[in-house]
Amino acid sequence: MTTFLPLLPLMILTGAILVLMMAIAFMRNLALSCGISVIGLLLTLISIIWVNLNLEPSYVTPLLRVDDFGLLFSGIMAVTALFICLLAYSYHQNRGEHQDEFFLLLLLATLGAMVLTISVHFASFVLGLELLGISIYALISYPTKGVFSLEAALKYLILSGISSAFILFGAGLLYAVSGTLSFADFAAGGIPNTGTGQVFVLAGSAMMLAGIGFKLSLVPFHMWTPDVYEGAPAPVAGFLATISKGSVFVALMRFFLAVDGYQYDSIMTGLYWIAGLSMLLGNILALLQSSIKRLLAYSSIAQFGYLMVAFIAISELAGKHLAIEAAVFFLIAYFITTIGAFGVVTIMSDKSEDHDLDSLDAYEGLFWQRPLLAAFMSIMLLSLAGIPLTAGFIGKFYILASGVESQLWPLLVIVVIGSGIGLFYYLRVIYAMTKKAAANTDIEVSAAGGWTMAVVTLVLLVLGVYPGPVIEWVSNMALQLV
Amino acid sequence: MIQLGLFYMAATITVVASLLAVTRYNASHALIYLIVSLLGSAIIFYVLGAPFAAVLEVLIYAGAIMVLFVFVIMMLNLGAAGVDNEHQWLQPRMWIIPSLLCLLLLAEILFLLNTSSHALSGTVVGPKVVGIELFGPYVLAVEIASMLLLAGLVGAYHLGRRYLLDMRGESL
Repeated sequence: MTTFLPLLPLMILTGAILVLMMAIAFMRNLALSCGISVIGLLLTLISIIWVNLNLEPSYVTPLLRVDDFGLLFSGIMAVTALFICLLAYSYHQNRGEHQDEFFLLLLLATLGAMVLTISVHFASFVLGLELLGISIYALISYPTKGVFSLEAALKYLILSGISSAFILFGAGLLYAVSGTLSFADFAAGGIPNTGTGQVFVLAGSAMMLAGIGFKLSLVPFHMWTPDVYEGAPAPVAGFLATISKGSVFVALMRFFLAVDGYQYDSIMTGLYWIAGLSMLLGNILALLQSSIKRLLAYSSIAQFGYLMVAFIAISELAGKHLAIEAAVFFLIAYFITTIGAFGVVTIMSDKSEDHDLDSLDAYEGLFWQRPLLAAFMSIMLLSLAGIPLTAGFIGKFYILASGVESQLWPLLVIVVIGSGIGLFYYLRVIYAMTKKAAANTDIEVSAAGGWTMAVVTLVLLVLGVYPGPVIEWVSNMALQLV
Repeated sequence: MIQLGLFYMAATITVVASLLAVTRYNASHALIYLIVSLLGSAIIFYVLGAPFAAVLEVLIYAGAIMVLFVFVIMMLNLGAAGVDNEHQWLQPRMWIIPSLLCLLLLAEILFLLNTSSHALSGTVVGPKVVGIELFGPYVLAVEIASMLLLAGLVGAYHLGRRYLLDMRGESL
């Protein structure tokens, strides 16, 4: 008899979704919908902490495994979704009727992401991925005005569908050779390492990697990213860049550690190229963007390139522990930073109905009009660039340290080059904000949005100045995975 | 040996029908080939010893696609012009290839039902076993799938609003 108690966070979130659905059916009220979502996410977060403190890591049916790794990321996702809810509230206030379903879809997508972080079986992996994906299609095309969001949603729908097909085919090949869909059985030696079996495993893993590469927008599979981020509403773009990518990365780590993909040279060579090209191309293409959302999209491609360096570093036994720690910490810092950056874009676009206010011109002179908002944005950008005193610096330092530990010299050179290029375009935005220009109309910062940004910035700075406790926590968790 | 031949026949029909479905310019023609392709894969399931999956394939996929097809016809049926269009789309010669493929599949399934050794390989998986699995170890998959459907429903409802506003003449 399995106990379902470890799944308490998922149950609470599902409960919140059902309550919200009924609330919308009977009474449409944006404040109420936002409130139910926020309370639901807070309760989910509390239950995650409770489960982490009181229950041992365990399998709940063969599909899911609730352990510290999954709970940590579930918690981060709950917090991120909470921030997005608060930021999205005033954004949706000015966009006409029928905005309540946004929160419903957001919670559903978060549920899918949480399922992904704890799934150890292809069935739950694919279901979580699709739950996340289907909610995101609707979220991207959420605005009823303008055609940009429809275009973005269509692009995402087609490419995401193809990448899901890749993942399914890869899973099918692995099943054909091993007769199991469970990651634990893969790890227990369910897959042959020799002869024709190896061909199946290689082809299957490569297809999985290609499909996941699409979702993570790594370089050969990155074409859709800027268009989709530009067309999607700012809060959704923030969701895409953080929760959607992060959960898929967590699932990738689980899958890769289970199959032990690191033993195949050809896959590792592919990963090398993917990481290197993501860093180089992401940074170079971001250089001359005139839209902040496109800039952040390319920057997120580059950031995931950095993350892949830590992912590759896991292959070396000596640096395995440090590399897992680095990947997890970098991801935490990336989540906070990205949600902050898209948060500022959200607040800026509160009043613009048809199209988000994301052209660089609109940000000129922001320091003189809204000094605090501009300061928040600057801190986020500095963190993305990896400047000290921010969480981004510690994250990048970790990446470099893990790369050195595992002796990935060529990739480290690219990390340094990429960071140098990155500095230019991040500072370009800050420079635009300091220009003395008053072309901008009034920007009102809502209370919810302003305070959320303040909290995000505070967390970012605290993580950058005093990361000790978080590092210790992450390190303990990484020990369990080694 | 004969069963292997049956498998390859169904597989060939499926692949050919899929290719034709992808390359048709007319959506309704493509849909017909899609149905044939789905029927073909149902036969493959049957030959592989999964009659339940085969039935589901026909019921859900071919059935649902049929409904979709009917919707397309209904939506585009605009008076006399619509009837003309239908005449144009549904010319008898358009039915030759799909009917031929379907006849081959029918012959195959009749042959399979007659010979009674309907499993090509492995054990036959019936509905009971599938049900026990779904509500045993995979019960959470069912639950997640139900949330997936909810997401699809809410998303479709909201996407439909855009056209509702458009039809009422409000700004798009």
